[in-house]
This record gives sequence, structure tokens and C-alpha cells, in this order.
Amino acid sequence: MSEMTHHPLLFTLRDAVSGKGFLAGITLSGRALMVQEDGKWWTYGVRPGAIAESGSTPQESFARFRNRYKEVLFDIADESRTFAAFKREVERFANEVDKEEERSWNDALQLVRASSGPPPEPFSQLDRMKAEEAPPKVTVEKLSAAKRKFTPKDNLKDTVAKAA
Amino acid sequence: MSATALFADVERMLKVCAPGATVRLATHSRVIQYKDKTYRSLPKFDRIELGHIRKMSRVLEILECAKRQIPGL
Repeated sequence: MSEMTHHPLLFTLRDAVSGKGFLAGITLSGRALMVQEDGKWWTYGVRPGAIAESGSTPQESFARFRNRYKEVLFDIADESRTFAAFKREVERFANEVDKEEERSWNDALQLVRASSGPPPEPFSQLDRMKAEEAPPKVTVEKLSAAKRKFTPKDNLKDTVAKAA
Repeated sequence: MSATALFADVERMLKVCAPGATVRLATHSRVIQYKDKTYRSLPKFDRIELGHIRKMSRVLEILECAKRQIPGL
């Protein structure tokens, strides 16, 4: 494995998804591995493990990965009769691990930590974040609950960082 | 354009490597279920990039068999 072609990423994504009679808020802190294969950049999910996307640049690859993740949420909403069923399937999807990808992600992280120089462009422009400070996690909330109060503090932008 | 395989070849591979696997169409993606594993993000195109097939095969734990069925995987 080459440090120059395997990039361990940490990301946080927040979505609001309409289901059958409910509005759900999903916050996912996940991990992905970005690699160059077959002449393209691939973003392979680690957690969630069952998702991948490609692009001609790292930015395009991650943007398409993000969109495919959103489509998975929409498909689950389509198929879920209740909020409880939606929450259960989103949690199952988010927690499904690709063990081989996880090993590759950990190997790439060790190479990042052993490297003295900065990562190559465009990864050098990403924030660096200690992997231990961003454990994989998903929360699924029912936003349409009767007593739920909404404030601008609930808003969270997408973030992606290079694991360090 | 990266390397691709026909979805028909993916179906043939699944019959050999994941007997009993089911494929259904959701609104945005194909959903493949095999044993206790679910892969719900396979694109709905006729030609599938190998990276997607590689990922799906890893998740379903059939990668070594899939490599023998799909050249270049």
C-alpha cells in the first residue's frame, strides 16, 4: 500500500429525510478510504462499509459518495412503514463493517502517522483530525415529534477531514 | 471511463458465488441480499464500474470467488 494513493478520511454528514408520516434527522460520523483505481478516484466506505463511489477527482468522488449515501437513506425511507423501522435499518446500514476495508483504512492511517511530510494535494487542504476523537457513530432522531423544538443550533455542515 | 462489467455478468457471478442471493430494485439503487448481508447501493446502470462490484463482493464476503468470475476484478 502506498501512502500517496490511500487516504483515510473522517466525515460527518447530517440529513433530514421525510418518511411515511415522519421527518427524521440522521447524523453520521463515518470513515472512508479514498484510493486511485482503474484510472479514477474511489471513495470506499469503511463505516458504513456497504457503499462506494467514484469520480475523476477526489472532490468529485466524495461528492458522489455523499449523494449515494443520501440516496440510500431515501430508499430506506421508501421501504419503511414506520419511524422505528427506518431507524433500525439506517442503524444496521451505518454499522455494517467491511472488515477488509477497515484493515486497509488502519494501515493507511499508520502510514499517515509515520510520514513526516504533508499529504499530497488536495488532501493537504483538509483539516487533520485524530481518529480517536471521531469514533464512528450514527444517531437517528424523530424530528416530527410533537414537543420537538427546532433552533439554528441544530444545523451542522458536512465535514470531511484527513484522519491523523 | 473506468473498467466496467455488464450487470448480466454480475448476476451470473452472484449465481455462482452467492447462491440464493436476491436482487431487487429500490428507487435509487439495486439492493442485493445474501445470507445476513445487505448491499443497498449498487447502481442501476446496465454497466457497473468494477469498484462497485469489488465493494459489493467484499461486503458479501465472496470476493475471491467473484474475481474468478469477472475478469479484472
